[in-house]
Parts: sequence; structure tokens; C-alpha cells
Amino acid sequence: MSDENLRRFLSELSRKVDKSKIFTEPEELYSYSLDASTEFKQPPAVVVRAGSEEDVRAVLELADRNRVPVVPRGGGTSLTGGPVPAVPNAILLDLTPMNRIEVNVDDGYAMAEAGATVLEVDKACRQYGFFFPPDPASSRIATIGGAIAENAGGLRGAKFGVMKNWILAMEVILPGGRRVRIGEPVYKWRWGPDLISLFVGSEGTLGVITKAWLKIYPLPEKVVRVLGVFDRIEEAGKAIAQIRRRGYVPMILELLDRETIEIVNESLGYNIEVAEAMVIADVDAPRESVWRIAGEVENVMRECGGRTSASDDPVEMERLYMARQGAYAAVTRAYPGVLLEDITVPLSKLSTALKELDDIRKEYGLRMPVFGHAGDGNLHPNICFDPRDEEQLRKAREMFLKTGEIAIRLGGAISGEHGIGLAKKELFLEEIKAVRGEGYVEMVRMIKQMIDPNGIMNPGKIFL
Amino acid sequence: MTDVIPEVVRFAAENTKEVGDVLGIGTDKRTRWARGIVERGPVDGTIFYAGEMYPVMGYSEGAFRMLKRVEGLMSINDLAKIGPIMRALGIYTVSINALWGSINRKYERALQDAVNVLKALGVSLGYLFEDEPPSGVALHTYGLLREFKEHADWVHRRLRGLGVKKIITLDPIVATAFRLYYPEFVRDWSIESHHFVEVVADRMAELGLRLNLGRKLRVTYHDPCYLARTLGVVDEVRFILSRVEGVELIEPARRGVLTGCSGDGGLELTQPPVARKVALDRVEELSKTGAELVLTSCPACMLMLRTGFESIGQSVDVWDLASLLAEAMNNVERGESISPSFRRYNVFPKSPHFRSLSLRDLSEVLKVETDRCKKCGFCNVECPTSKAMDRLESRSSRGRVTLINSLVSGDPVRPREVLDRLYTCVLCGRCSQECPAGLHVQELIVYGRAYSIYSGRIPEELLD
Repeated sequence: MSDENLRRFLSELSRKVDKSKIFTEPEELYSYSLDASTEFKQPPAVVVRAGSEEDVRAVLELADRNRVPVVPRGGGTSLTGGPVPAVPNAILLDLTPMNRIEVNVDDGYAMAEAGATVLEVDKACRQYGFFFPPDPASSRIATIGGAIAENAGGLRGAKFGVMKNWILAMEVILPGGRRVRIGEPVYKWRWGPDLISLFVGSEGTLGVITKAWLKIYPLPEKVVRVLGVFDRIEEAGKAIAQIRRRGYVPMILELLDRETIEIVNESLGYNIEVAEAMVIADVDAPRESVWRIAGEVENVMRECGGRTSASDDPVEMERLYMARQGAYAAVTRAYPGVLLEDITVPLSKLSTALKELDDIRKEYGLRMPVFGHAGDGNLHPNICFDPRDEEQLRKAREMFLKTGEIAIRLGGAISGEHGIGLAKKELFLEEIKAVRGEGYVEMVRMIKQMIDPNGIMNPGKIFL
Repeated sequence: MTDVIPEVVRFAAENTKEVGDVLGIGTDKRTRWARGIVERGPVDGTIFYAGEMYPVMGYSEGAFRMLKRVEGLMSINDLAKIGPIMRALGIYTVSINALWGSINRKYERALQDAVNVLKALGVSLGYLFEDEPPSGVALHTYGLLREFKEHADWVHRRLRGLGVKKIITLDPIVATAFRLYYPEFVRDWSIESHHFVEVVADRMAELGLRLNLGRKLRVTYHDPCYLARTLGVVDEVRFILSRVEGVELIEPARRGVLTGCSGDGGLELTQPPVARKVALDRVEELSKTGAELVLTSCPACMLMLRTGFESIGQSVDVWDLASLLAEAMNNVERGESISPSFRRYNVFPKSPHFRSLSLRDLSEVLKVETDRCKKCGFCNVECPTSKAMDRLESRSSRGRVTLINSLVSGDPVRPREVLDRLYTCVLCGRCSQECPAGLHVQELIVYGRAYSIYSGRIPEELLD
């Protein structure tokens, strides 16, 4: 794309979109040059803050005509470089001004525009005794559009899965500015192929999601928090697998290893009992049965070698959760450099994965606290290093690749919820080569070619 | 030398240094409130320090109201050019007094009330009248740190020369300057600094006092960020109000260390329309309490809240807490001495340490600190100016940190333009409470302003 294309695009755009929404000053561009991966930095050439569907259509129509790349962005909280342009001279389309939310309790959905935050949607539902289950840690700032494009998950994924499980319908603007509506805001409809799943997790490479109709869920009647403390991490892995194997589905089922607890204590000045591993389960159920089920979950943890406690008192629940709550802050405070992994393994392989991660840690000698949503097999090893030390940086990158290889070898996935973006392109190709068959890349490229023939949508991401 | 600082900041800085207050009203008007109220001090080494804001805040309020009327016709920077011309013509102070002298009486009254309350509680103190040196805190706020250091050294010498050992002030911004900034900038600073509220709470507890207002009054209290968050003074206010018969305290949603900003912090001068939007948000929240009277303990908050209520057409009065106490002091009952424990809240992470104010030292520390930002954006959520400026990234907490990083990393951003974005911050510190990485964001903003100012200065010989 030449500067001439960009100039033409801008000139045409200023006739269709209010000038107050178009930004070209370097200070505006640089403020949008990063995401929460902090690993990639590239300012766009222009920022357009879309205030309406018409703005999005105008941008995609003119960008397509002038062959200018477009990078959609919500809260900018991607951990893999999703909203960071992979090419210079891109248009960054900020969707945060489109943030309308309407809850329709009678029909069981919340309609949210792309720029509404996940937490605001959840809060809007709670007024009616419902909630929105997906809860990425960034939900305060992560947007619905971004969460769909990245197929985000969260703590409650143990029971409720990821974003793709919660979408009834959505509107997408395609390159060229065409609007399509996929699905219906009802709980049953069928036609194929399922195009919602095509756009979920597509990381902005096919079109711009502007609006979604989302399923909502009644708030649990009662929650009891169970904490299990283990002397061996494999026992904790086994306990998680057994809880699920025996048919219990806690709303959250989290795991933390010793290094995480130590860093939380060091970094935040806490005094949490240090153990090899900690498992936290939030059991949600009707009032009459919640303590019985929580007791059974405790029994499973004890059978696997854990010491347990449980509470429904809000203060005590918070105390039990302190280590998990503080994990991200503790790691980011202690280490200026962190590569955050995001692998998923089958539950039956959880113990093996935890053991192998420990081997990697020992081999390289860098700290790598592991915590995550182990209830759905999703682990977040945090590889900690000093970015000014080149040797440490090299080791961290190798550890990152080896961690991904564990997931592939054990039949899992290199990303559970953070996406591929720029950070995992290499690993994703490994995963494809190992398990997805030789036609996979070609098939996806053909789909991309059909929907975005000029390749303007977020080029350079995934393998597109 | 060509500066990047806006005209209005230059005007405020020069007035602070040369005349002693931001608007340049002068000593005569600044000390008028104290005549016949308080003896020339110090007394027992203690002074009541009025500071450069409270005694003349009414003039600022008048100017702030006028700005709204001329908006669209003139910018604040244009107006700032008129001040020195009027001063040269000898009509500046006279005109200002004629216009806004009556508004100023309310602020003068608060100072008189504070001194009367302290005297009634048996606190020995004097006032320096025209010898009182301005704290120069505005220089710090606007990032003119080299000038602040020079000024603070002079203030220290002067106060020591006058025998001052202890300062009691009604202004929490000044109290912050003397308690936190002076020890950082001035070698051997040893003068104690207390806010009025701290002294009153201690004395009331010691004397076991109960006051009676003699009427029923529903009040709410706006915690100033400098008092609650920066100095950690929260419990004292609640204790004092609990000892005043007739007063019913109704707390607003955001209170204590999580208080909401009223729009001051220097923003009222650099970005008046944004300041007004922030204030609007706060007065609407305070208004929901249904209180008949709003209390606070900061001159700048009083200004913003008073004009804010007026803009939503509500005739809710805003008083300094001192004025309520002065009224209730007419009916005092002494009891057993009590020892309540006032918690000193410490909500901010560790301050970054700057070895000097050289460009090299500033940039080195700012780079290390801002590199630690993980771009999670949690700081943006509660940022009052981000909300007021429609979440535009460059004018949000996260974006400002990104821009400081860009500036010190050598990205092609311009000091003047970066400074412009940094001046959209109110320094309320809410971001620092939210930062998982433990960045002291508002201090980085102040030092980032300093770096922008000093790196943007271009010697005349290079201009051609």
C-alpha cells in the first residue's frame, strides 16, 4: 500500500466520517501502539474512533477500495498482539465509543455493541438477577467485540466455557462495508454452516463485529468456596481431574503452584501458607444442596492428598481467594518481563503437564509461576525474566516455545483463551503441522480470500 | 529560550513565584482574612498556614465562571496573555477585586472559622501575614520541578528564619506539599505539617468533646483526593462528624480512599471544560445522597463543587468542614478523654526515586518505570478524565503512561503535544490504586511533565 492510497482514503473518509473522530497526530497514534502483551509495538497511520455502524461501514468500504489495512480494536487488552498493527500504514478502528447495552430478560439475552465492556454487560444483567458468565481477567476494560474476536474465556470457564458458547447472533461489517447479520436472538435456530463460529476467534481478520446478542444466565442461588492445599502438584492436578470426572462442575476451579504463592507473598507482603499447590473451587448450587456438594468436592480433594477448608462467608471467601486474586499483580510487580503462556491440555493429562512444566523450569532456571483455570485444562505459566538481560530473554523465549510443545504433545491446544495474534504464530503452525492435517491452512486461507479478497483485515495475524 | 508550556501555566507559575498566588492577586488581599482574627506568629513555633489558594480562591472561582461564558470566543491561553497587560496598566488587582471580591468572602470565612475552631480547642498558633511564603505547590503540579526545588529551598530558609517548627493548614494540597514533596526536594527539611482535620480530631478526642449544632442537618462529605488518598486521612473526618449532635452524615457512593475527583488538580486552569465535566459527574453523585449541605476540606474542591452544583441548577451549599465546626462550637460539652485509632491509609505504591532533575536522570527512571506498565488498562476504568474525554486513549491514564514511555524512548512524539496530554490529568491518584504493576502513576505524570518541559526547551540560537 502506498502513501497515495492512504491519502486518498483519508480524503474520502473525511467526507463520510466526522473529522472529530479521525486522528493522525503522532501522539494519538503512539498511544494506540501497544496492547497488553507489551511485546509488539507499531503505531497505526490513522486512528478512527467509530461512533456508529455507519462509521465502521465507511471505513471498511473506503479501506477496501484503497487497499488500506484495517486493525479493529476494543479495550486493547489482548495478550498476543491482536490489536497491534503488524504492518505500517494501518488504520486502527477504535470501537470503544460504540458501547450501548440493552438487556431483554423476557427473551433471555443482552444486546451489546462491540465497544461495551464485558463487565458492564455483566453488571447490566445483574440488575435483573442474571449475569453474563464469560469473565476474562480484563473484563473491566475488555470489550464484547474484542472478547468475541479473541474467543476469550475466564475463571468461570470451568463451568460456562468461553465466548463462543454465549453468542446467539451478531452483526458484522465485511470488507467493502457490507453488513451481515449472523444467527438470531433466540435460543434455537439452525442453518449451516455455523458462521458465528467462523467469526469467533478470527481476531479481526475477516470483518468487524459491531454488535452481538448474548445469552444470559440466572445468578447462582448460593456459592461455597472450597480451598485445597497440596504437598505435591501432581496431586492437585489429579484432584481437579477427579472432581470433573465424578461429575462435579464448580463455577470456578483454579490452580496455583508454589512459586505463585511465594511471589504473591514476596511481592504483596502477604503471609499465605506456602504449599506445593493450591486448588480453589467455587461450588454453586441451590441453597439446600450447596454444602453437601461442597463437602463432596472437599472429599475428592482429601482423597487426592489435599487439606481442605470451605466457607460461604464473604470475608473468609475473599481470604481463601487472596493468592489467586493477587497472582497477576504480584508477578507483574516482581518482574518487568513476563511471557504469559496459555496452554490447554486434556484433564487426564493435567498432572503430566504440570510435571513437565516443572522440568522446564528446572532446566532453564528462570522462575515460572503457574496458575490458571485448570478446571477446563487451561494453564497460565508466567515466564519471568529481566528484559535487559539478553540471555534471560533468550531462555524465556525458548521456554515459551517448549511450553507450547507440551500442549501439542499431550493432545491439547497452544492457546486456551488468549489467541494467536503475533505472539503465537510460530507455535500455531507447529500445532497445525502436528494435528490438523495438511489441508487446514489452505482451507482457512480460502475462506479468508473469499471474505476479504484484498486482504485488508488485520493482516499478519494468525497465519493470514 | 522557547518553552513548550502553555501560556496559562506560565502565567500561573510566574504569579506563584513573583506575587505569591496563581492568579497574582497579591499579599494585601491574601492576608486580609486574618486581620483581627489571629496574632502575628509563630506562637510556640506553630503557624496557621493559609497558603496561596484558600485566601484568594474566590477570585479563581470568579475567573472559572467567566471562562465558561467566554468559551468559544477566547481560549484560556488567550486570557492568560491579558493578565500581565492589565497588571502593567495598574488595573489588574482592582478589576479582579471589583468583579469577584464578594465571592472570595466565602473562602476567607472558611479560614477565619478554621482559626477560631483551633483557638477554641486550645491550639496555640500564629500567622505570618505578609511574611508567609507561598508553598509553590502549583510549580510542582505543573511539572516545573527545577523551579519548585529552587523555590522550596527559599521557603525552607525563610520559615526556619522565622522560627517555624510546625505548620497547620486547611489546604490538603499544601499539607501534601510540605509533608511529601518538601522532604524529597529540600535537604534537612524538618518542619512538621498537619492538616486542620488531623489536629481537630486529635484535640476533640483528647478533650472528649461533643459539639451541638443546635439544628438537624443532613450532610454529605466529599473526601478531597489529597487528604484521603495522598495523606490517608479519612477516619478523622468521620470521628469529628460523629461528635457533632444534629448532623446526619450520608456518605456518597465513592468515598474515603476511593473518593471521586471533583475536577481540580490544576485541570481547572489547563482544561476548564474537562474539569467541568469531571465536576458534573461528582456533584450528580453527591446530589443522590439527598444531603442539604455538602462538606469538604479543600479550597479547589470547594470551587469545583460550588460551580458544579450551579451548573446542574441545584442550590446545594458547599462548606468547608471548618465552617460547620465553627457553628457547632457555640455549644460544647466536655467529657472523658478518648483514644480512637485513626488509621493512616497508605494506598499508593512506592514512589520512584529520581537522583536528579537532569534530563538523563529523568528519562532513565521514567523509562524503567513506564516499561513496567503492562497496558492492562485497569487504570483507565476509574480515571475521571478518561471518562470525561470519551475514553480517548491519549487522554486516559494508560495512554499518558504510554506517551511518557514514547517520549523517553525516542519515538517521534513531540514534547509540547505530550505535555498537552499530560496536562489532562487531575493527579487524583485513582490510577495508582488500580495498577497491578504497582506504578505510582500520578508521580510519573508529574515527572513526565517535567521531562516534557525541559526536553522541549529550545535555546534561541537553535531556533533559526
